[in-house]
Amino acid sequence: MAFKTSVQKYTGSINKLEFGSGENSKALGGENVLPFYTFDGNIGGKPLIGLEILDVYPEKWLDELQQIYGDAANNAVQWARFVEEKFSPDFICLRLEGADPNGLNKSPEEAAALAKEVAQAIKVPLVVAGTQNHDKDTKLFEKVAEVLEGCNVILLSAVEDNYKKIGAAGVLAYRHKVAAESSVDINLAKQLNILLNQLGVKNEDIVMNVGCAAVGYGFEYVASTMDRIRLAALGQNDKSLQMPIITPVSFDTWSVKESVASVEDAPEWGSQVERGIAMEVSTAASVIAAGANAVILRHPGSAETVRKLADALINN
Amino acid sequence: MERFMIIGERIHCISPVIRKAFAERDAAPILQRAKEQIDAGAAYLDLNIGPAERDGEEVMMWAVQLLQNEFNNIPLCLDTANKKAIEAGIKVYNRDRGKPIINSADAGPRIDMLDLAAANDAMVIALCAKEGIPRDTEERLTYCTEMLERGMALGIDPNDILFDPLFLVVKGMQEKAPEVMETIRLISEMGLKTNAGLSNVSNGAPKHVRPIIDSVFAAMAIQCGLTAAIVNPCDQRLMETIKTCDMIKGNILYADSYLEL
Repeated sequence: MAFKTSVQKYTGSINKLEFGSGENSKALGGENVLPFYTFDGNIGGKPLIGLEILDVYPEKWLDELQQIYGDAANNAVQWARFVEEKFSPDFICLRLEGADPNGLNKSPEEAAALAKEVAQAIKVPLVVAGTQNHDKDTKLFEKVAEVLEGCNVILLSAVEDNYKKIGAAGVLAYRHKVAAESSVDINLAKQLNILLNQLGVKNEDIVMNVGCAAVGYGFEYVASTMDRIRLAALGQNDKSLQMPIITPVSFDTWSVKESVASVEDAPEWGSQVERGIAMEVSTAASVIAAGANAVILRHPGSAETVRKLADALINN
Repeated sequence: MERFMIIGERIHCISPVIRKAFAERDAAPILQRAKEQIDAGAAYLDLNIGPAERDGEEVMMWAVQLLQNEFNNIPLCLDTANKKAIEAGIKVYNRDRGKPIINSADAGPRIDMLDLAAANDAMVIALCAKEGIPRDTEERLTYCTEMLERGMALGIDPNDILFDPLFLVVKGMQEKAPEVMETIRLISEMGLKTNAGLSNVSNGAPKHVRPIIDSVFAAMAIQCGLTAAIVNPCDQRLMETIKTCDMIKGNILYADSYLEL
């Protein structure tokens, strides 16, 4: 008797979420199997890889990264163009670090105006990341959503404290997509989706940021959370967890000691930038294998490596 | 584990409103009850047209199409002793969201409902009874086995048979309640599915007590392995109990708002 591969079928599937506008929009999700399980069914779109840029000069980034961007990094609009032309990421993540109340504390109006210029300068879709200060992000995203109307960006992120205002302005009024952020807690991830849904935000307009950690820093909780979210979404057909997942990997991996320690401090560890890339690549590879549909990375070399890995897994 | 299957019982010709609606082909009262039950969380709707000896086929076809057209092919439980009506209903039934369930076969005069299920690739509720009320757990299991063997010989997937251990009224047959629980446990241990006609258990009890008896009976039966029940989904206490059972057993993932889903 001929060998017949058994196939794991699931009743649920992950929503397909499109962001960006027109022919340059990109889709996240759409799968009805676990990540890269091409032998079981439809794996949906490829994992999307976005590069991170800032609204201010990246003072704290490594010299090697600053050198890649040179003068372009002085202006987010040029920086975005440079990244798009040179590295062709699937999307660009503009992080509004300059609006941080503990830093330059730029006004929402100023930050939003820059975000608009960036959006107009590039073709690829935009993810706009906030300051991670919940109060400021609320005001920031309300303004960003307004001035970017029509660009269909992802607002990263709304949390339990501010989901009402960000959901109402971002999605209901100006029709962007919203990332629902929870910190590695499957029950909270589900709850926040339900709350957004009860506010009137459609499940199809929500992407989840379920939290991240660099590998070696409690990453096993991240992996198991993503796994369980995907199994509930697919196996239990849990509609409140069938959103695609976006993971800002670089936000975590470039601040752990493996990436931060200079060669002088840790000569036995070798090149600092190599270490930073290694942390970023290992974490990104792990989250796309656990269920992330998009990752945000900082080093263009990391992006290239993760892209090659994903392509090789899909086209084996 | 799969979620507990809730079959809404409120489209039943014992209700004068529904009986009249069937007779006059009046869609409104039927659609209204269907909507209330779906909104309350019913996965299947029971469609009881009574014995319907005269025009059962037309009534069943009309009602199946009415409900499925209006509610995105909601899966249905076809509930009548009239076999021709069931066959007619299945002919127009859309299976996108689940097979039709035939309600019901037993080990006695209605055993040929199993044949009907096999011939039409339908699920079937199988009452563990033959003549009157089974004496004890052993007798129930005997009927369960008889129906299982016949079903399998006919090519029915055992998972498509929902064995109903015959839920009996507590007020008057109190001593049967532990037997019912035990039967569910034993049938579940064989890896088979079970169904409960739950409202029977609280018949005759005061109105304010009935939801309590129904909910607790359901919770205890679910712990014994019960996988489905024909219930009134508009009974909030019962629905909250079932959802909480699903949550505690891990069939659904906890979130603070789990009762609101």
